[in-house]
Amino acid sequence: MSTSLAHTEEHADHGHAHEHEHHDLPWYRKYVFSTDHKVISKQFMLASLIFLFIGGAFALMLRWQLAYPGEAIPVIGHLLPDTWVAEPGSGVITPEFFVQLTTMHATIMIFFVIIPMAVGMFGNFCIPLMIGTDDMALPRLNMWSFWLVPPAGLIMLAGVFTEMGYAGAGWTSYPPLAADINKEAFTFSGQTLWLISVFMIGFSSIMGAVNYVATVLNKRAKGMKLFDMPLTVWGLFITAIIATLGTPVLAAGLAMLFFDNFFHTSFFIPDHLVSGASFPGGGQPVLFQHVFWFYSHPAVYIMILPLMGIVSEVLATFSRKPIYGYKAMVFAVAGIAFLGFIVWGHHMFQSGMNPLLGTTFMLSTIVIAVPSSIKVFNWLGTLWRGNIHFSSAMLAALAFVSMFIIGGLSGVFMASAPVDIYIHDTYFIVAHIHYVLFGGSLFGIFAGIYYWFPKMFGKMLSESWGRRHLFWSFLAFNATFFPMHVLGIGGHMRRIYDPNVYDFLKGMQGMNEFITIAAIVMGFSQLMLVGNILYSLKWGKKAPRNPWNANTLEWAAPPHPGHGNFDMDITVYRGPYEFGVEGRELDYWPQWEPGKSITVHHHTIAVSDDTSTSVGMH
Amino acid sequence: MNDILSVFDMLAWFPENISTFGQELDNLFAVIYWISVAIFFLTFGLMGYFMWKYRAREGGRGYNYHGNNIVEITWTILPTILFAGIGVYSDAIWETTKYSSKMPKPDVEIIVLGKQFGWYFLYPGADGTFGRNAYNDRTARALMSATNPFGIDENDPASADDFVVENQFRVPVNANVMVRGSSIDVLHSFFLPHARVKQDVVPGTWMNIWFNLFKTGTYELACAELCGGGHYAMRAEYQVLSKSGYDAWLDQKAMEKAAALAPPAAAAPAEGETPAADAGTDTGNDTGDVWSE
Repeated sequence: MSTSLAHTEEHADHGHAHEHEHHDLPWYRKYVFSTDHKVISKQFMLASLIFLFIGGAFALMLRWQLAYPGEAIPVIGHLLPDTWVAEPGSGVITPEFFVQLTTMHATIMIFFVIIPMAVGMFGNFCIPLMIGTDDMALPRLNMWSFWLVPPAGLIMLAGVFTEMGYAGAGWTSYPPLAADINKEAFTFSGQTLWLISVFMIGFSSIMGAVNYVATVLNKRAKGMKLFDMPLTVWGLFITAIIATLGTPVLAAGLAMLFFDNFFHTSFFIPDHLVSGASFPGGGQPVLFQHVFWFYSHPAVYIMILPLMGIVSEVLATFSRKPIYGYKAMVFAVAGIAFLGFIVWGHHMFQSGMNPLLGTTFMLSTIVIAVPSSIKVFNWLGTLWRGNIHFSSAMLAALAFVSMFIIGGLSGVFMASAPVDIYIHDTYFIVAHIHYVLFGGSLFGIFAGIYYWFPKMFGKMLSESWGRRHLFWSFLAFNATFFPMHVLGIGGHMRRIYDPNVYDFLKGMQGMNEFITIAAIVMGFSQLMLVGNILYSLKWGKKAPRNPWNANTLEWAAPPHPGHGNFDMDITVYRGPYEFGVEGRELDYWPQWEPGKSITVHHHTIAVSDDTSTSVGMH
Repeated sequence: MNDILSVFDMLAWFPENISTFGQELDNLFAVIYWISVAIFFLTFGLMGYFMWKYRAREGGRGYNYHGNNIVEITWTILPTILFAGIGVYSDAIWETTKYSSKMPKPDVEIIVLGKQFGWYFLYPGADGTFGRNAYNDRTARALMSATNPFGIDENDPASADDFVVENQFRVPVNANVMVRGSSIDVLHSFFLPHARVKQDVVPGTWMNIWFNLFKTGTYELACAELCGGGHYAMRAEYQVLSKSGYDAWLDQKAMEKAAALAPPAAAAPAEGETPAADAGTDTGNDTGDVWSE
């Protein structure tokens, strides 16, 4: 019998035969060009983990330069290519390579790590399983959404082979700098390749997003209303809507910038530039910033909303409590998504747009703090009167909530346009973005990995190594990024190669050294995660079907589900977070278990006894 | 240890403020800072307390409770009021610092250009008015070049006393200084940390930047917008001078300029063939090229 195509050998007989008419596929259709959402999810995970370490290595190299300007990078310094270093073999990077490092670090982390993990990996894994269906609505599109990522990454990294090296105009790639105004037309630079690469990754996003919307709307299990969906699915669904609306705008902006860069058109190039190449002129540089941030501000919500959902999931499960204010959470996410489209100008307070727009965008930005605080309060409400188990996933989720609070509060500073005058383009911004994207998104991703690894791979991760990984990550993370607030208040600009050029930054060298040491510790802490994953894949304990006693539908599927996912018919009887229901012996009540209940004053009370024949329990 | 603790005394890290509106900006920062500290301790305190109080116990159960609309509405409205208050308070300061309509009448006007990787400053000189240049006449942009970044029209008599300084500028104390900023190549940002001034300068567009500095001394100007490999070194210095010191500097500059222009016959040969050809077509009152000194 040909069952469970995606199963590894030891699980092949664990699943039940699905009476699908699929035949044996060749290996490259199972593991490479697979249309199974779980395989695609793992492909996203693998690719992103590789990029995570590339992006992290870039960050450590630039941190080294900031802490020890003019000193050779240890160990790898002497291996660096001659074009990256001041003098061959010296191991000291050049200012040009330094800005390329900042550019590549940010681009890789945003477009090749956080978005593919938050949306690609968890979206693919969670949506079909959590809504109780066999696969995505459009599996082939799904496959292509992954298979644009590796070529896009390679194209971007190929920038190193061009004359000027990698792209070096920052991840925001503002023209005219990003149009390479001293480069001849019809020649490739790292920046040209960067534009092509991000354009491709945008297409990957759009394909994934269209698919998620179609799947959520059309393929929910019998009985599952929209408001029976777990918050993870809500987060991913709304994220997909944002991506569908925003990414085409980014693609348009990148295409125009590509024309300016490669064909020397002048969408964003004003007349009479004093530059090495000639342009017809007449363009407006600030226009690009509007187009770029119209996507890229919603993109920060693309990077955090799915994780907010995942964290809600984990908090409820390990507090053994329903989510406090489930509908408020959904509306808050929808509110953030809507407001996210009308706040982009807060990245441009000092850009030279009309200051009247500064007032408008400041007010809309400040409003967005409201749904964010609703989410935080509801998370706290979820902890209240819970029975809290501190598993690795839970610790990561709590780290997310606490770091998101700090990141959110520092956001209020820059939302205030006059305060932003001083802190704009300083390390205060760098601190904020890392509190939200690393302390927030990446810890959310850790939570998701620790939580769903048993379902993804059929093995349990080591909890003790998980705790160690999170402890060191959390400690080193705060040691790295908290002092950056202070650097920013001191006026330390971002993306500068050597702060010692300035007298007013002279007192900060010690802090820069401290940050770099902490960053190195943080970087190496991540090896614990990789080690844990690799060890557990081989020697980990076999995972039971529902290791966390959770309620959502993915736990009804066998551990490491095969093609088609479920070995039973799924009908949904209730919402996803019925923990501690009165009148039940067990403290959880899976969505797929039949049973009647009534709601009295925000409490759920079970009213029938026939719940002992649960399928999902062992 | 004190070094480490000083990280938490954040407000002490600001560089000394020297501008009139700087104190308002710092105060606003401090208000948001203390609100944030309060919210931080409130939320972290609750979170820590819940984590300790409701840690898992043998046979324990979570409390099945789905939330309460009155509570939700309360914690929607309270932050709205708080944040709206911050917004209104901020906007008043924003308008005074950035709105063109609210800028005071300038005592001193300077035109600034960023380039990869340095700064040019153009002063109107003794007559107090600029001659025709790329700022006040858009068609003069055609004259912009690496040697004449401001596109100064040397045929305009008012240009004769306009002078340019590079990577340093001087302003008088207690005066409203109006800076018109732009760039000749890519984006730069005009950042005076001590004066709490930051404004991107965009090629093809002119930005209005103003400040009024109350303390004399030498301070730094930094570029705050990534502009290429040399971005970090795009530094300039500025001096805030007493009124008399500033006037003395202007006089000195006027003399330097006059000296440079006085013997056109002596200056012309040093400049090679092109100015000589110009001299042939123009009459004797040609002002010469100040850019190739």
